[in-house]
Formats: sequence, C-alpha cells, structure tokens
Amino acid sequence: MYNRKIRGPLVEGNKTFSQISKEILTPMETTPGLWWYIAFGIASIAAIFGFYAIYITVSRGIGTWGVNNSVGWGWEIVNFVWWIGIGHAGTAFSIFLLILRQRWRTSINRAAEAMTVIAVMLAALFPALHMGRVWLAFYIFPYPNTRGPLWVNFNSPLFWDFIAITAYLLISFSFWYLGMLPDFATIRDRTKSKIKKAIYGFFGMGWTGSSHHWIRFESLSFILGGIAAVLVVSVHSIVSTDFAVGIEPGWHTTLFPPYFVVGAIFSGFAMVMTLMVIMRKIYKLTDYVTDNHMDAIARILVFISLIMGTAYSTEVFIAWYSGNEYEMFTFFRNRITGDYTFQFWGMIVCNALIPQLFWFRKVRRSWVGLLVVSLLINLGMWFERFNIVVTSLSKDFLPSNWVSYNPTYIEIGVYAGTLGLFAAGILLFFRYIPLMAISEVKSVANIGNKKDD
Amino acid sequence: MMKKYWKSAEEFQGITAGNDKDSEETSKDQVLDLFRSDFLKNYSTRREFLKVFGFSLSSAALVASCKRPVQKAIPYLIHPPEVTPGKSLYYATSFFDGQEYSGILVKTRDGRPIKIEGNLLSSFNREGTSARVQASVLSLYDDARLKFPTSDRSPASWDIIDEQIIKDLARINSAEGEIVLLTSTVISPSTIKLINEFGARFRNFRWVQYDAVSYSAVLEANLICFGKAVIPDYHFQNAGYVVSLNADFLGTWVSPVHFIQKYVSRRKPDNVENKMLRHIHFESGLSLTGSNADKRIRIKPSEEKSLLSELYNRIAAKTGAEQFTGVTGREELTELADNLLSSKGKSIVVSGTNNVEIQIIVNGINSLLGNYADCIDLNRNLNIAAGIDRRSEELVTDMNAGKVKALFMYNVNPVYDYPDSEKFLSGLKKTELTVNMTGSLNETVGRAKYDCPVNHYLESWDDAGIIPGQLSLSQPCINPLFNTRSFQDSLLIWSGNSTSWHDYLMANWEKEFFPKSNLSVFRNFWDLSLGNGVFSYDIPGSKPALFNKEGLARAMNTLVNAGTDGFEVVFHESVALGNGMHANNPWLMELPDPVSRHCWENVAAVSPADAVKLGIQTGHLIKLADGLILPAFIQPGQAEGTVSVALGYGHTDSGPVANNVGTNVYRFIRIIEGNRVYGFITNKLENTLKQSQLALTQVHHSMEGRPIVRETVLSKYKIDPASGNELHGEYESKHRTLYPEVKYDGFHWGLAIDLNLCVGCNSCVIACQAENNIPVVGREEVKKRRIMHWIKIDRYYSDTPDDPKVYFQPLTCQHCDNAPCENVCPVSATNHSNEGLNQMTYNRCIGTKYCINNCPYKVRRFNWFRYTNNKAFDFNTASDLGKMVLNPDVTVRERGVVEKCSFCVQRIQEKKLQAKLENRTLKDNEIKTACMQACPSGAIIFGNLNDKNSKVSGLFDNPRRYHLLEELHTLPSIAYLTKVWNDEDSKS
Amino acid sequence: MKKAFKIGIFDEEERFISSIKSLQQKEFKIYDVFTPYPVHEVFHLLKRKSRLPTAAYFFGLFAIIAVLAFLYYTSVINWPIVYGGKPFNSFPSFIVVTIVITIFAVTIASLAAFSARSKLIPGRENTIFDHRATDDKFVIVVNTDILDNSKSEQIATLMKEQGAMEVLDKEFENISA
Repeated sequence: MYNRKIRGPLVEGNKTFSQISKEILTPMETTPGLWWYIAFGIASIAAIFGFYAIYITVSRGIGTWGVNNSVGWGWEIVNFVWWIGIGHAGTAFSIFLLILRQRWRTSINRAAEAMTVIAVMLAALFPALHMGRVWLAFYIFPYPNTRGPLWVNFNSPLFWDFIAITAYLLISFSFWYLGMLPDFATIRDRTKSKIKKAIYGFFGMGWTGSSHHWIRFESLSFILGGIAAVLVVSVHSIVSTDFAVGIEPGWHTTLFPPYFVVGAIFSGFAMVMTLMVIMRKIYKLTDYVTDNHMDAIARILVFISLIMGTAYSTEVFIAWYSGNEYEMFTFFRNRITGDYTFQFWGMIVCNALIPQLFWFRKVRRSWVGLLVVSLLINLGMWFERFNIVVTSLSKDFLPSNWVSYNPTYIEIGVYAGTLGLFAAGILLFFRYIPLMAISEVKSVANIGNKKDD
Repeated sequence: MMKKYWKSAEEFQGITAGNDKDSEETSKDQVLDLFRSDFLKNYSTRREFLKVFGFSLSSAALVASCKRPVQKAIPYLIHPPEVTPGKSLYYATSFFDGQEYSGILVKTRDGRPIKIEGNLLSSFNREGTSARVQASVLSLYDDARLKFPTSDRSPASWDIIDEQIIKDLARINSAEGEIVLLTSTVISPSTIKLINEFGARFRNFRWVQYDAVSYSAVLEANLICFGKAVIPDYHFQNAGYVVSLNADFLGTWVSPVHFIQKYVSRRKPDNVENKMLRHIHFESGLSLTGSNADKRIRIKPSEEKSLLSELYNRIAAKTGAEQFTGVTGREELTELADNLLSSKGKSIVVSGTNNVEIQIIVNGINSLLGNYADCIDLNRNLNIAAGIDRRSEELVTDMNAGKVKALFMYNVNPVYDYPDSEKFLSGLKKTELTVNMTGSLNETVGRAKYDCPVNHYLESWDDAGIIPGQLSLSQPCINPLFNTRSFQDSLLIWSGNSTSWHDYLMANWEKEFFPKSNLSVFRNFWDLSLGNGVFSYDIPGSKPALFNKEGLARAMNTLVNAGTDGFEVVFHESVALGNGMHANNPWLMELPDPVSRHCWENVAAVSPADAVKLGIQTGHLIKLADGLILPAFIQPGQAEGTVSVALGYGHTDSGPVANNVGTNVYRFIRIIEGNRVYGFITNKLENTLKQSQLALTQVHHSMEGRPIVRETVLSKYKIDPASGNELHGEYESKHRTLYPEVKYDGFHWGLAIDLNLCVGCNSCVIACQAENNIPVVGREEVKKRRIMHWIKIDRYYSDTPDDPKVYFQPLTCQHCDNAPCENVCPVSATNHSNEGLNQMTYNRCIGTKYCINNCPYKVRRFNWFRYTNNKAFDFNTASDLGKMVLNPDVTVRERGVVEKCSFCVQRIQEKKLQAKLENRTLKDNEIKTACMQACPSGAIIFGNLNDKNSKVSGLFDNPRRYHLLEELHTLPSIAYLTKVWNDEDSKS
Repeated sequence: MKKAFKIGIFDEEERFISSIKSLQQKEFKIYDVFTPYPVHEVFHLLKRKSRLPTAAYFFGLFAIIAVLAFLYYTSVINWPIVYGGKPFNSFPSFIVVTIVITIFAVTIASLAAFSARSKLIPGRENTIFDHRATDDKFVIVVNTDILDNSKSEQIATLMKEQGAMEVLDKEFENISA
C-alpha cells in the first residue's frame, strides 16, 4: 500500500516510541516562549473587541449593522459560511483519509480536528447573532409546547442548517476526543505532577490500552468516521440550500451543494496548511509533519482549485445559457462588472489562479510559498461567500429595491472577535493538548523506515 | 353600504346638557391631568376625566407592545351609552385647514379618533382622501400643540385674557383705531357671518384673508373677466382634451383629490360613451400632474405668457376672433390649437401661475373654446382660497405705518410664510393689541401679546361651504385634550355674546339652511345633516358670465419677451407637506415625494443637462442665491435652465420634527405688480462641491427592460385590449406545477391595482401607516434604506432623462399563493391562511430575515430597532400622547420582528364577524383595505376571488391584467392592469 | 481477594507477538495484553471482537423510522399548515432532516454503548498493570492464581526466551476492566 521509494518515510529520523511521546509532548511539558504570550494577548484583545460588538448588537439591535430592507444578510452570514467551510477541514481530513487508509494523515488530523471544533463553534455564533430576537432562539427547537399544536417549519433550510451544525459539532468533537483518549492516558502515566495526573486521569476515562479498549476504539472510530463522512458532505450541502432553495438570482442553482462542499474542503485544507506551517516552524516537528505531508496537501489544494475554477465558470455559463435576464444581470452586471467587481475577481484570482503555483515543486517545498498561498485561498473563499450573499440581494428583481450594502464597525468587530477567539483557541490547543495522535504516530513510526524493508 | 353614523356625546345629551355652560367649561380642562405639563395649573375633577377617557390609556398601553399585557385598565364610572369598548364609532365631520377641504368620517375607538376615512356622502371627495387629510389625525396628538393660553408668553387663564382683550378693544374702538382680523381662507358660512357681526361692532374694522400659497391671480383674473373673484370648478369628467401649464392639479393645485376623481373618470380606456381624455402638460419641474400627462413639454416659467398668447392668437385666427400682437414661432402650437378646437367646449386650459395677465389669457382661451359651458364652472365654484395678495400687502404696509391698532390672527403663520416676514414682524411690533389664534406651535406663536390656542378640528364644531349649495358640518369627536378654545368661541366672547359657538352654529343653520331642506322639524334636519356630515341644496344655475375683453387686451399687449438667460428658480408645494403648515407631522415628513422619491428635506431639482454642464451630482450642495444653499437633486424631466425647490420646509420653531429640516424658501418669493411670484431668476448656480447624503427611498429609476410596468397606447388598445401584456398569455400557457395547487374554499382574497388610474398621490401610503401602526424611522434610517411603509409607490422612468415617461406602481405584499417567504421561515412565523393570506405571526418571529431575502418583491420590513417607547425614535410612538393614535386592532411590533402588509386582516375579520352576527354573507366591496379606501382614483380594488361576480374577479378577467414577476410562478394575489397612454389627438 | 499475575514487558512489537503465540501454543490462558497503539494481530490471536457496528446499525434503523414518523405526525396530523403552496406531507424536504437527525442519534447511541461496554467514563480509574504500556511498552498479563509455581515459572522463561525485557510478579485486588 505504501511505497517508500516514492514518498519517503512517514516519520523521519528512526524514533523510538518513548522518543515520540516525549517529543510530541514537549510543548505541553515545557512552558511556552514569550511569543506565545504575545500572540495570546493580541488574540484576546481582538476577542474582547468582538464581545463588545456582540454586546452592542444584542442590546441595541441588528440596526447597528449595515444590513437593510433589501440586503437582509451581510457580513454575519458571509462569515458564518466561511467559518463552517474552514470547519470542514479536520473532519474531512480525518474521515476521508481514514477511510482511504491514508496513514500519513496521522500526524496532522489532531490539529485539523481541533481547528474544526473551534471553527464550527465560532460559525454557530453568527446565525444566533443575526437573529432579531436571539433571546427567543429556542423557538427553533421542535418541542411540544403549551401554545397548542405548534411545530417548526421542517421545510426551512435554516432549520436543516440548525440541526446539521449541531450534529456536526457533536460528531467532530466526539471524534476528536475519542482520538485523544490514549494520549491523555499516556500523559497521565508519564507525568510526575499530581495535578496533571488527576486532570488527565479524569479526561483519560481510565484508558489502559488493553486489547478490549483498542478493538472497540477502532470499530467506534470507523463507525463515527463512516457516518461523519456522510455528514461532512451533507452539512455544507445543507448550508448551500440556504441559498439554493432561495429564489434570488445567483442563489437559485442546483450547482450549489457540490460547489459548497468542495469549496469548504478547499478553505479547510488551506487553513490546515497555514496551521501546519506555523506549527512546524515553532515546534520543530518537521520529522513528524514532513515536507512530504505538506506536499500532499498542496497537491490536493491544486486539484480542488481546478474544481472551483470549473464551478465558477459553470455558474457564469449557466447564467448566460439559461437566458434568464435576472441571472444574467446578477452575474454580468453586478459581479463580473458593476459595484462588486473587486470581490468577484478577488475570488477568481485567489481561488482559481493563485493555487496553480502549487504545480511547481519549489513552491510546494518552501514554507513561505505554502503560507502565502494558503492565506490567499482563505481570503478568496471569503470573497466567494460575499459574492453569493450580498451581490444577489443588492440588485435582484425589482430595480426600485436596489441598494448597496456596507458593513458597520460593529459587524467588522464581530468578525475580528471570532478571528481572535480562533487564534486563542489554537494557542490553548498547542499548550494543553497533544499536537498529534501519539498512539497513531507510533503505529506508523516504522513504516517506510529502514527496518521495515 | 350605508354606515350608521353616531352623533357627538354633547348632541346625545340634548339641549339640556348642551347649554350647560359650566359643564362645558370644566370638560375643556378635564383632560389636562392626562398630559401634565409643567406650566399647567389644572383644576379638573378626576371623575369627569375618567368618564370621558376611561379606556384611552389602557388601550394605548395594550397596543404599546406585542409582549406586554394590559398595564392598567380604568373602568368607566358612568358608562357613556354610545361608547362600547372595542367597537369603533364613526363621526361624520369635515376637514378644512385653510388650504384643503374634505368631507370625512372619523373612526374613534374608546373615545380616541384613530383614523380618517372619506365620507361617501360628500360628493366633493367621496371616499377619497389626501395624504394630508389621512395624517391630520396624528396632529391631534402632536405634543407641539399649544396647551394653554398665554399672555406675554406666560400662561394665563382665559378669563383674565378675555377681560383684557375686551377692555383693549373697547379703548381702541372708542379711539377709532383700526381693528384687523387676519385669517387663513374661511369657508364656513356661519363663521363668516360671525366675523361680520364681530366686525360690525367696531367703527374701523378690516378682515383680511391670507393664503401661504396664493391663488390671488386666478381670483383677480376672474374678477376682471367675469366680475366674480372665484376659483372655478374644473369638470375634467366632461373634458376630452386638457392643456395645463404649471398647474399640478393632481398633486397640489387647488383641490387635488377632487380633481383626481374627475380626471381619472375620463382616463378609462374601456369607457365607451366618453372617449379617454388626452392631457398635454407644460411645466418646468417634473410634477405629479406632468408625470401623468400623455404629453409633457418642458418650458421655462418666463416662456409661459408668450406661449399662451401665441396659443390664443392661433385659436383666435381659426375662430376668427380678434388677434393681438404677440410673439410667434412655436409651430407645435398650431397642432395644439387644432386639437383644442376640435374638442371645442369639451376642453380645459388651466395655468397654475400666480400672474393675473397669464390667468386672463387662459380665461380668454377658455372662453374662445366655450369651455365655460360645462367644463369650467364659475357658478358652483370652489371656495378653496380667498386670499388676495394686495390685501395682505396693504395690511403689512399699514401695520408698519402704525395705522393698525389691533391685529387678530387666526390659523396663519406669516412669520414663516409671508414673503417679507421681517417687515411683518416690525409691523407687528407697532401694533398695540396683537392676538394670535392658532392650534399648534409655529414661528408666529409667541410673537403676539396674546396666544389664544384654538382646538384641533377634531375637537371643534364648524361648518363649511366648499361649493355653493354644498355644505358640510364638523363636530367634535373628542373633548379638547388641552386648555384650548375654538376661534369662534373667542370671537363670540370678545364681542360680548354669551351664546356658545355650538348654539350659534345651530341657530345659523336653522335660519339659513333649514328652510332650504324639505324637512319640517329643524331637530330632524340638524340630526340628519350632522349624521350625514353634509347637506346640499340646489342653487339657481345662472348662464355663464360674459367675458370682458378689456383685461385681455391689456394682458396681451404687455408682453415680456420669451426666455431669459440664467437659471429660473421655481418654488412649488410638495405633495407631502403642501404649504408646510403640517410640517411637524412625522408621517408626512417621512412620506417620500411621489416623483423624486426622497423625504425629510427639500432639494434643488436640476435638469440632467445642467448637471452635466455644471458638474453637479445628486447630493452636492449648490448655491442658488445668498443664504440659499440646497442639496442638488438631478431630476429627469426638469426643464433645462430651471431649478425647482419645494416650499414648506425649513421651519425654525414648529416642533421637533419640523425644525431645521430643509430650507425655508418663502422669503425668496417676490411681489411683482401685487402678485406673489413663486420663484426668481439667478444668473448662476454655484456648486460648493460639498456633499450631503439625501434620504432617498429609491435610487434606481430604470426598469432595466424588465416587464414590471406593462404599458400600451390607446390606439393599440382599441385593436387588442391585451396589447402590451402579451407576456401574460405566454406565462399562463407555460403554467405548470409540481405540487397540486392549493384550493381555497370559502374566501380567496385578492387585490387589483389599475396602473392607469393610479396617479401616484401617495394617500394610500399614509392611510396604511395610520391603519397599521407603522412606525416612522427618521431621516438617518431612511438613508440606510430602512423605511417601514408597507405599501410604497415605485416610480420608474423610461425614454431619455431629459424627457422621461413616468410610471407609478403601488407595491405591497403580493400575498403569493406560492410564497417564497413562507417556505424558508424556520419557526413558521409566516405561513398561508386558508383564505389565501400570507400571514405574519409577530409573536413567533425570531428575525432571521430569511423571508426578507427570499421575497422577490422585497416588501417585507424589519424592525431594526425598538421604534416604540424609544427616545431615539421620538416621533409619535414614544409618548403617551402620540400613542393615542395607535389602532388597538393592530399589534405594535417589537424590535427584531419582520412585518408587512396583512391585507388589513383586522378589517377582514371585523366585517366577517359583523356579517356573521347579521347572519348574512359578505357583500362585495364591503371589506375595504385602508389603501383601497383612501385611494381617490379608485385604482385599488379588494375582494373575494372565489366570488366570480365580485369587482375584483372582474378585474382579474380583464385582458390588461398581469402579475408582477409572474414568470417566477409565485402566483400573487395582487394583479396589475396595464398602463394605457392616450396617443390619439382629438382630431383623429 | 488478591489475584497474582505474571506480567511480561516487551519493547518491540515483533517479540511481543511471538511470545503471545508461544504462550498460546503451550495453552497458557492470556489474561490480557496492553499496547501503546492498536496491534491488529493481537486481536486475531486473542479472538477479540466488537459488536458495536451491529448495534450502530440498529440504532440507525430505529432513528430513521422514529424521525419520519415524527415528521409525518407533526406536519400532517397534528399541525397541518400550508407553506408556500406545498402539500402538508412534502416528503422531499423531510429527507434532509431525517438523514441528519439519524446521524445525530447514531453518534450519541454508539458513544454511550462504547463507554458502557469498555467501562470508559470520565474520572474512572481502571487497573493499570504497567504504566509504561501507554507510552512505549507492550505488556502481556497472565493470571497465575490457578497455576502452580512451576507453571508460572515456565511462563516467565517463555517470555524471557521471546525477548521480554523484564517479567514481573504483581498482585492486584478488585480489578476493574
């Protein structure tokens, strides 16, 4: 299955198992450098700004945002879709690669999943905030109540959204946590400090590594993996129905589900790459996350970016081919040209063109190249969502309703806040959770190494 | 359907209580403790107050929020027999504010007037009402109303003031000093009688009527030509060909609602016996009338006179009448003359310019065409405006000369709207005794020695003679809220007359009009006319007066040469504010101008060509004259070289809403040859290049070639009634559905809007706002495109920006049977009723705004902030006083919920219930939505689509019928009828 | 009562496996083995099986039926309402809900089953025969209570032969998991 001649070893530098445990756990067992505190400080400031913005939004009303009676959704939904997209990386990574028996995933999936969990939680924040009466959000639960027969509207994509995200959050989290069980046990058994022993012992749930544990562990991961694979596809398809079910020009298209799923994985992988580049740089984990790993992600990205390019051109082509004047206007006079040209071409350049640099081995192998491109992809994906949400609404069927939309600093603040929280979350993850699935790394430690062949 | 009208409480108790002076006195003060004001010394009894007002507070509290329950309910101590809590009472009365008249019904709930409706029995306006009439109910609850009399700007009791005034009057009279009464136009026969009696008591008395926007020239011209200073009634329903110059008779000129009804009655293409009227309009700025004209020609004001005289000559040439020397060269006028001649006697030429000579020439043309027979009526004329500019001129001069010793002002605001207000003020200072009688705060209040606040018209007795032989009564629908007194009562008291105005009025009717009725007992006559609100009798129809030529000769021979270099600035009334006396009314202030679609400001409309020339963009502040800097607005159809500015803005002391909004241009009006000229000539426009954002409610003006308003021309229509509407057939033929369509047994409500009848007057907008408690959001929010109106009138242009065709399209919730909004609401706050209504459950709404996005018509509105009890939005929903106008049948929406047109579901339910109680089926047109009811032109028809005989079903079968965006297969319950322009000259 | 165990500790997967094999040839019953990561051969040798997949399947089956029934009840029987001209039972839009809620249910149920069967509950402390097992050592545990000393010595030597780095004797009370 794995040909070392081509790909080289998964874990380099012939490590013994205890070496692996030790090296992976170093970030947790040593106090972090100054950079960590600075980064965490900045993240916290952003987060505090975000909380202020949220406070204003909830206390005064959505009126503090730039949205209006024609463009009902603005940045908040753009960011929601964006975060959800990023939230697809982890699970997609673990699940698909797990199912495809791609064992090189082992040293990456932990971080990816952590990212997923944080991103999805942040994403879920936005639909809640954009409600006019968030304090009545519980109305969306289909619960029997004293108001007589009264249920939610099961036809509404927003309801689908709500359950899909909840389920996705639960699964990603349990999958992530399941993977951490053995590692917590490892920490529990290695550490000297009483407190750590107690804490990790508690979360370790009494894992011993017995064959009984391992067999069930494996089958459960496959069950979760299996159903989560369906979910990864369905969640973003459902998010896409928020628009595809809509009647607005540029929304009402059957292309959206696959287009959104691929886009999501695109942004997710890009974010994983950003994270990995940083992680390797800081923690010198190049032996575990090897250049080959990054190379593999880069290859996937360039492939997906081709799909995205196709999707974009299909969209435009169909708009023209359908002969529907509203679609045509939206695409040709409100995106390709018109008020929102910048966002449209930003999307094309960042998502379809720039990733093509990954055809060059040089770029795939230089950490700067990887970092820059992956960041640009995430920017491009944000533009894509902006295109979909805002441009369609701003100029739809009746010209008398046409408006333009600009965000207020409150909206921007909320976004900045989520970015801050994300960074903070990742930093805490670096510090308190094993960066990689130690047990899994061990299981592949010998693959592709000398003694193997 | 004939309503059972109730009469006032006072009437109910009969003469006994009627004469009881004391009880009347106290009842005036009863309400004072409701709205405690610091100055106020109130000495009313709580019980009296409760008796009258028991429920108003509780109802206000009830409707004040869709979350909170009733806070305090005060039971009646003694239950007034005619008041049933929760049941509406309708009082017939009449509206006249000095510039506009309407016979109306007032809907009161629990003692509070909450809605104005047209009075079917009033032949003058029938059910039609203007936006201003609709909004007048809110001004009753305006906190800027004067709440108590003042002497030298400090509160004083009526007794003291009366005493002093009577003393002063006696002194001045004995010294033969001149006593002047300055009023707005008075059309009440009884008041006129009273004024004359009042004047007769003095040796030296003068009564001057004064209109902010003057029709002096028309009056004078008719005096010269026909010997009677009147404004004739124009019978558009008899006219086949109308030529109007700068007369916005559908929007602001004389009596729009009255004219609209007559006008549209001849704009029906399928009208067989009467051919559709063709309308040619000459003007500078794009007015509502110009927008509706079949042909619109842009002229500078200075060109009008020469144009008219040339037209006169061309017609005279054809009729062989005497011609005068005049400029020539407008070839198109030959054709116009021919057209006018070919519909001789069946045409109208009308000019709105306040210039005697122009008006004389117009009269000349009309008499050449013999239009005075049955198109222009000098006998049954309109008593709308009686102010002669010269009179007010003389008065101000005399005041400054110190000739005037006493000045009584009633319902006028010269400090704001008199062209030379400085001069007026200086004159006022020279006058010994100055008394100001006005209802609400304005610039003139506080300038006189005494301020004697008068009642709101909904609090007072009055009568009106709008047209000779057509009388109407006004009765109080609520006890005076504040310590105010009607103007007539004051006059009576000051002339030492002890009878109350109410008795005086009755007596006068008994003497003057009762004999003209066929009833034997006066009591019955009085009750009947009070119940109907109107009383009409025949007046002897005299032959049309002979036309006097001398005036014409003089007018024609003193010709100014056409055209001027430099810019001609034109002042006009705005459809929303009129002359500006209601500027403190938030509803009107936020009512977008039907043509420019902006509100909360008056702008300088410049033509696109000039804008290019001077590099002006909409929003640039431009300087028209010293002290006159206005934001520019590029107005398609504006005549090149002209700038139009609306009057009525720029108040400095008229209440929180009106103050410092826009600019007051009254002071730039000049007086030439005794007539006020509404405009001036400036040699250059200066662009300060400073930017200001306008509160625009529509920024895109082209239909982008989409079939939104479908139009055709009469000639094509005659061949194929469905012309211009071919698409409808096509879509119908493609009509397929995946799911079986929902069937509605029982009712299926629908609404039809005839785009050919809708003139875009906007009264439906305010009617809807009043009926459905729609909040005013203020200028900043309007700028953010968050205006709340449930029904709005979209305005589109086609053709060139220089000479556009204008289209109006009322747009409200389409109540689609396949509603995209319903499908996407996660909590099912909006869904479909089994009567085809797209209903909105405010309590259930969590405000995801998904429905707003998914509505292709974008007619859903979101409560971005808390608009009730919120000082940041202190329009009428933040104070107890203002909230009294709220309709208890309609929930006041909370922050964060979506709202939209409900087809006035509360009215539907009310009538259904009534029918059920009377054990009968609903009649067609029994249920009227607020917009339908207010529409002067009857362009909106609501009804049951399942009833094949209903009026609305008929319109749904009309070949002109189509649905907005029907290609989306949303199956709207609202249908539009195509717009038909009249392209046929009367020759053909 | 106390239980006595022979505990063999290996630091290489191969030796560990072969020693298991040899113990089984001698028909010694292996109590349990502990490894830092899943070693699939062990599962075959010790005939370890998991019925979780079967359970999950039935969870899913049940969930699907339950959800569909619920949707039908709420939107057709209990509270029929017209949304945008759709029939009450607009099945296509129920599919999405069904899928997702099923997944949700299966996840929860399987997690519960897992933690119940393998006695993994937050805060629980299971007996640790040798704490290095979670780090880098492979551990074989044989219960020696019922065996006489010679037999247990034989186990020790067997493990040594197969290359155990050490073999310990330990006694544990009330063992969990």
